Amino acid sequence: MALRLFQRKPHTRGPVSGGVRTAQAFVPAPVEKLASDPLHALCQQERYNVIIQRRREWAEHPDGERLCREAAVRLESRMALVPAGRVTLAQTVVDAPGAPEVDVEVEPFLLDIHAVTNAQYQRFVDAGAYEDFDLWPRAIWPHLIHMRDQTGKPGPRYWRDGRHDQKLAMHPVVGISWYEAAAYARWIGQRLPTEAEWQMAATWRIKSETDLLRRFPWGDAMDRTRCNIWASGIGHTVPVDAYPEGAAPNGVLQLVGNVWEWVDGDLNLTTTEGKPIVAEMDIKATRGGAFDTYFESQATGLFRTGHIALARLHNIGFRCALSIGDAPWLREAV
Amino acid sequence: MAITEQYTSSECLICERTNPPGAMLCSACGAPMSLIEEAAIQQRSPRIITILGESNVGKTVYLGFLLDMLSKRAGGFEAIPKGAYSVNLQQSVISHMNARQFPPKTPLEVDHWKWAYYQVRHYDAHADEWFDLLLPDMAGEALAQEIETPQTYKAITGLLAKSAGALVLIDAAVAASGSPHPDYFALKLMSYVDRQFATKRGGKARNPIAIVLCKADYCPECFDNPRAFAETNLNRLWNICQSRFANVEFFAASTVGSLGFAHDEDDNVVPVPLHAAPRGILEPFEWILDRIRAMPAK
Repeated sequence: MALRLFQRKPHTRGPVSGGVRTAQAFVPAPVEKLASDPLHALCQQERYNVIIQRRREWAEHPDGERLCREAAVRLESRMALVPAGRVTLAQTVVDAPGAPEVDVEVEPFLLDIHAVTNAQYQRFVDAGAYEDFDLWPRAIWPHLIHMRDQTGKPGPRYWRDGRHDQKLAMHPVVGISWYEAAAYARWIGQRLPTEAEWQMAATWRIKSETDLLRRFPWGDAMDRTRCNIWASGIGHTVPVDAYPEGAAPNGVLQLVGNVWEWVDGDLNLTTTEGKPIVAEMDIKATRGGAFDTYFESQATGLFRTGHIALARLHNIGFRCALSIGDAPWLREAV
Repeated sequence: MAITEQYTSSECLICERTNPPGAMLCSACGAPMSLIEEAAIQQRSPRIITILGESNVGKTVYLGFLLDMLSKRAGGFEAIPKGAYSVNLQQSVISHMNARQFPPKTPLEVDHWKWAYYQVRHYDAHADEWFDLLLPDMAGEALAQEIETPQTYKAITGLLAKSAGALVLIDAAVAASGSPHPDYFALKLMSYVDRQFATKRGGKARNPIAIVLCKADYCPECFDNPRAFAETNLNRLWNICQSRFANVEFFAASTVGSLGFAHDEDDNVVPVPLHAAPRGILEPFEWILDRIRAMPAK
């Protein structure tokens, strides 16, 4: 099984919707009928790592072996290996030369090539995940009732009647809190990347004799034609497969721009005087900048910021990760 | 009086006081006399858009981002600053926000305010007209004093009397939290503006007024429907707008993508803009420019 490491799969740039999106009519995504067979249903929901984790359950299933193998292939095609390395996390809001930093070693791991799309998140909503308390930490249960769309149905903030806009099926899901992102990742048998892992994927400071890193996934200089930030002049999200020229060496797309990405961890920054930055509730780290990020210095692989964990904003999405230890199919391949 | 005559006689563009030749600032209202020089070069009086709002509502940051976006030709606009002093405001705002700091508060003294004189054009299919725009950044405390005691700040009185339109900034985050304060301040402010703009008793003021609900990132429903938000959370403002202003619209805006707080050296809690994500900055300006386009220049 070939691992996507240094090979770049040729991508076709997805259609970028022009004009003002709000002026276009909302087209609700059609309801997908789920197979009655649980294994086939998991395949439909693209919960590939769940299928593999529970493969012993499918031993008697007539399609069990084939679908497990297929799940591994599918998962391998949508994730990329990020090699071991070391990242340096700034500790102060102004990351000037000489400012405190912390070095973190990163083990190799797998990262989704694309951010999670509306179409993918639709399956999570359709599965009734907002009512499945096992997916959510107990502390968040009282807040689940507020995680509603424009019409009061469970789902991302900008959806209607529990459906996403079909025109935005391939755009990253936005309007979800950190808890919703983490619950989705758990539901598909994965997790959110840590802040250090995300930075490793975006800066590629791999373990080697030479201490090299890049500020952006594609190199060391900002190039607004390789990402969707304010200066790109688009003004809204684009499909997750757009900007193939902005890919990291392993093919991971849009680590910079389009949407901020929730990562696993609290934002622990201080002022230059060492006073902690706080908010009225926990600030979870977000990385990478979004379509409306104004300053190019704030859309890099190194820039650290965050949002309050319950924020459900128009410019925050996420992607999922997987530890090598949680990917038996990958261990076998290696 | 022709604009060139105004220049030679050093008559202030804002309050019309005649000043001695070579004066840097108007002796009556404190406005910079260089504005008159620019106006004389253009051979026409600039159209003034006044940005009004309470202290700490974010007038300086809003104006700084607006000017910076205009000079980057965002939203189909082209903007040319007339004089280096016009760039100082946006430079200060952008430099501070890029360093994750808010710019310093605008001083109370008129001679310390920053003024921006821009030539602006919206190059769409329907119009190819250049506007000479004068955008002053006034202190919120000065405006509050002027509202309580009119004529305290002649610069504000003069500005509003000559304004083609106004952007009124309201703190939506505080309003959404249930505080009546922004609504009361807005009511006083609009009552004051009404007195400056209204042409005759009983007639509604026709100058376009864009009500900008600032810090709307704290209350996303504000972006969904600014009118509904204002009617619900700023009902006194909503009512006076309906009664007294013929040309008013509501907008939501925010500049900070995420806000943290920290203690400074004196143990005061200070806000820290973690990153900038300006939203809804150009829309009110575009709306007001469209409305002004239909009005004759003063």
